Amino acid sequence: MNLKDNSTYIAGPTRIFTTVLVLLIATAMLQGIIISTAMLWEARPIAPIKKPKKELSEAEKHLEKIRNSGRQFLPDGTIHLVYTLPDIPTLKRAIDERQKEIYDANGSLLWSGLEKNRPYEYLSWGVMIHGYTESFTDTRMKQIQMITPEFSRSLEIPVRSREKTEQVWRYDPGRQLFVGYRSDGSKIGYIGSTGFTDSKSRAKPFGRFKLFTAWCPQDSFSPTLLWQTSRRIYEINFEKQQVQLIFESAKSNIKQINLHKWRAIRPETPQDSKIPYRPLIKCLTEDGKHHLIMRNPDRKLTVTVDGDWWSETISFTATTQGIYLFYRDTERRLPSAFRKSPKLALEWSRKVRGKPYKKWVELYKVDNKANLHLLNRCDWTVPAEPYPVVEAGPLWTKVRHYACQFSSPLYDLAWYLLGRQFLFQLYRGNDFIRGFAEVTRELRPGNSILNWLLALAMVGFAFWHGWPRKTSLGKLIFWFVFTLVFNLAGLLTYLALNHTPIIKCPLCGKRRGLAQVNCIRCGAELPAPERGKLDLILNT
Amino acid sequence: MRFLALLRKELRESLPWMLLAAIIFLAIGGFVLRAQAYLGQPSWYYSGLSPGTVVDTYRLTHFSPLRMTGSWLLVTSIGLGLALGVRHFWMPLFTRTWPFLIHRSANRPTILWAKLAAAIISFIIPVGVVWVALYRYSCRPEIFETLPTKRVFIEGWLFILLGLVAYLGTALAGLSSARWYTTKILGLAFATIVICMTIFQWRLGWAFAVLVVGVVVLLSQIIDAFLNREF
Repeated sequence: MNLKDNSTYIAGPTRIFTTVLVLLIATAMLQGIIISTAMLWEARPIAPIKKPKKELSEAEKHLEKIRNSGRQFLPDGTIHLVYTLPDIPTLKRAIDERQKEIYDANGSLLWSGLEKNRPYEYLSWGVMIHGYTESFTDTRMKQIQMITPEFSRSLEIPVRSREKTEQVWRYDPGRQLFVGYRSDGSKIGYIGSTGFTDSKSRAKPFGRFKLFTAWCPQDSFSPTLLWQTSRRIYEINFEKQQVQLIFESAKSNIKQINLHKWRAIRPETPQDSKIPYRPLIKCLTEDGKHHLIMRNPDRKLTVTVDGDWWSETISFTATTQGIYLFYRDTERRLPSAFRKSPKLALEWSRKVRGKPYKKWVELYKVDNKANLHLLNRCDWTVPAEPYPVVEAGPLWTKVRHYACQFSSPLYDLAWYLLGRQFLFQLYRGNDFIRGFAEVTRELRPGNSILNWLLALAMVGFAFWHGWPRKTSLGKLIFWFVFTLVFNLAGLLTYLALNHTPIIKCPLCGKRRGLAQVNCIRCGAELPAPERGKLDLILNT
Repeated sequence: MRFLALLRKELRESLPWMLLAAIIFLAIGGFVLRAQAYLGQPSWYYSGLSPGTVVDTYRLTHFSPLRMTGSWLLVTSIGLGLALGVRHFWMPLFTRTWPFLIHRSANRPTILWAKLAAAIISFIIPVGVVWVALYRYSCRPEIFETLPTKRVFIEGWLFILLGLVAYLGTALAGLSSARWYTTKILGLAFATIVICMTIFQWRLGWAFAVLVVGVVVLLSQIIDAFLNREF
């Protein structure tokens, strides 16, 4: 066996792989173009539903104000309804310049005036770290590491005096720790989960990165980081080269963190600085527990709520007087039983659409044993409002349905085997994987009978094409299965690699290929070339 | 001896393209790098770092000073790959000189290895050496405020290898006996897919894995086509 023979065995499968990959991508692009063209063809501006202008009575205006008010709690548990008067759009006033009206729970007006003059101090609540600038997630960490034609980026935390950068701490994603450099390029050391060390071997990784936020403390120009991994939260001060482990979850991964007054930054509004808050981090773990980490004094508490509660809307705040929980919920929340089935979810949403529903907020006090005591509750009904239902146009839906029938059934298999959750997780990763997930979702045939019928028709065509050219039954069956599995891309691959010339058999008159000596129908050999006068080879 | 003779012949034919690639990359890549050194870090970059404020996390991510040079490296590598692929495998087709080359006293594998070796040397010397020089220059803290990471150096070599992928794709397209409107350009199309899939990876290991798979797929078909087809 030499290189010439060996290469044929490897080149054959690689040739099939190359061809089918290119043709799958080409088919997907063509399908995408057809579907997008149909969408553009059918695009029309949706006229807004014009509600008949009905003049509201004073009582109705008042009721609408109450419904559209924000619910705020005082530290003693009293609830106020805070209504923000509509502003002139062109003015774009600052928040504390907006006109407000405050009502009690019975709808009686208590106060009216500018926000900055508000006499009441409401409890403020922990919020998720969000926003492109404030939070840096694992998705963004992957994005900056993407190679791209401009190379990957690095995460660097400077240590600065007023005008000058004195040190730079660069994150090493492979080792999951920070490496420090002076301004002359020399190495300072390493910051890992155990703190600062000048030895590479002693530096321990932080763990799988999930999120961080950064702020400059009030006495420094250098950022301090709150660094979240799958199970831990650290606070890293690069100027002091200190790492503090704030929280560690022993049993399950951290799902979400909320901060309240944790970062030592300038107060946002004058009112905020009057209530004696305690810095607080709330960690929601995947087992549904809310872990509270507080300072002044340092304390940790784990709160378990009712399994039916909407965990993501629960907020906490801690003052020197106590710890409070704010919970809001609505009847218009998809029941957990329906979440796994898109069909049931759609039916449920169609049933509740356009009907009035209830919303409510509750304030609880959390005692030292993490028990909840209801302080106050407010509920109200949101009236039914008709709103335009945007449905896909009939042409686009049909075109999409038929275009997808030329896709490979493997898309459906990938969708069912890997599951929606897996593909959702991949959305947060690599752009290409995300692209593959979107193609799978948008172009899958949906297990349609038409898809299988088309595939069988293509197999039939491949049979009609391949039978006269047959060299081996095994190869022919392989190509039939290949065409069935890859649909249009499979048929095109088969044709690209197997379209060889055919001639008419001189004996039976039927089509036959040139790769086999004997005709597959009558067994006659290939016709020999005619002898000519100058035919030196045959004459000798 | 025959291999060396063939190698010298291929290198001689590739020399103009090697020199052109080296000059373009050194001139333009060096110019943009020098411009980056002159501009330095924009003064607004850390202007948001004042006491008692939340930091914009975008300001904490940094491109290396070789950012613009990287684009030129990729373009030069791919361009060199296309040029060498055309020179080695398309020109003999256009000038009908394949029989002269194939029917020498050297066997076909020797001829093919000579071409591939010439291509690899053509990437290492003009592009690779210049890349190493530019990277070393960018590591000087007295000139650049932000220094590049070691990963950037490896990514540069990845770009050079992508030029090799472009070369192999062009070679396969040249060796294919199919019509141009059928499957002749599949080699180039596959090379394009490999290049795109490689540069949008965020893990270096996966990027190299995609590259290696692409090279193996293309190389196996080139070897089969060159050794078995009739010229």
